[in-house]
Amino acid sequence: MTQQTNDKKWFDQLIMELRVRQVHGSAIGDTIASARELLSDTGQQAEEAFGPAREYAAALELPSAPKHDWIRKALWPALLGLLAFLLFNQAVVSWTRSELLLVSPAQLALLATPVVLIGLLPLYLDALIRRIWVCIGITAVCVMAGLLSAFATPKSRAEAWLAIDPLPWLIGSMLVMVALSTMNTIRSSHSEDDNDITDPLSGTTDSHGRGARAIVQLTNWLFPILAIAMLGLALSFR
Amino acid sequence: MNVPASDPQTTGSADWPSDWLRATLGFLALRALSAGPSYGYAIISELERHGFGTIKGGTLYPLLTRYEAAGLVTTEWRAGDGGPGRKYFALTDQGRAELTRLSADWLRFTVTSTHYLDPERLTKEISA
Repeated sequence: MTQQTNDKKWFDQLIMELRVRQVHGSAIGDTIASARELLSDTGQQAEEAFGPAREYAAALELPSAPKHDWIRKALWPALLGLLAFLLFNQAVVSWTRSELLLVSPAQLALLATPVVLIGLLPLYLDALIRRIWVCIGITAVCVMAGLLSAFATPKSRAEAWLAIDPLPWLIGSMLVMVALSTMNTIRSSHSEDDNDITDPLSGTTDSHGRGARAIVQLTNWLFPILAIAMLGLALSFR
Repeated sequence: MNVPASDPQTTGSADWPSDWLRATLGFLALRALSAGPSYGYAIISELERHGFGTIKGGTLYPLLTRYEAAGLVTTEWRAGDGGPGRKYFALTDQGRAELTRLSADWLRFTVTSTHYLDPERLTKEISA
């Protein structure tokens, strides 16, 4: 039982390490099946036979997608989506109160914090994945910046740096979120981009693959869903 | 074509210096495939049977993966008997040529080293 638990942990770590290296799903499936084959033959534990998962993943030197491919495909759309979501949140309260959208420099700086942190993600992605405290720290900073930005909202037009009509920003940011979600949905369901871990013999994906796909589709629409929830909240507290 | 092997990890009775195994494991693995396609555990067993110790999967598979990328071996998955499938590795013509070249080079190297370590043996062999 302990061996199974240790091996499961090792295989999960190996998959994560290969994913971080942008190795294609079919190559990951091949690697997993090869390792299972040898463990079945020798009765060894995964760590004993292959060493630490991180070192084994590095030693394999499997072909991977261009290093910055995920930045173009995933990071920039996510960043644009976050920016649109933050804009929507700022505009929705003003719009439901039939007020102008007032913006101060401090508020802009605080709202830019999560955008900048996500923009710099390639620099600290490894640490974020491997150290939970980095993940907690980044999340805490983003939440704090969001909360503080609410306090930095100008109370009157005289305090504001910008005073703009919220409706175009509300509509524009929602359109951007929907467009990005649609684009991501098409991309992730496209067969060429199907990066599920496949069994080399049967060609089938593992059970986690289908569940993960549903989560990916939900994640694709996360910003529009949250934006609608924010709109509902703003209308109910009007 | 030289494909570097990672630091070999072995267990078992044969306790060769790791540097020696690092230098030779590549063509020893090719040699283990010379009789026909074989799979991970069979290659490890073959090398162990011939006195090289137990090569770990963490050493053998990265080596074979690099050989596959270099075109020295091809792979094919075959269904197992009740258990998981087996990944068979087979030498390509390029791999066979590489094995022949490396074997000849290794033989020359060992002869040169042996003669240098024991010069009297060379004299005895010539006079015999």
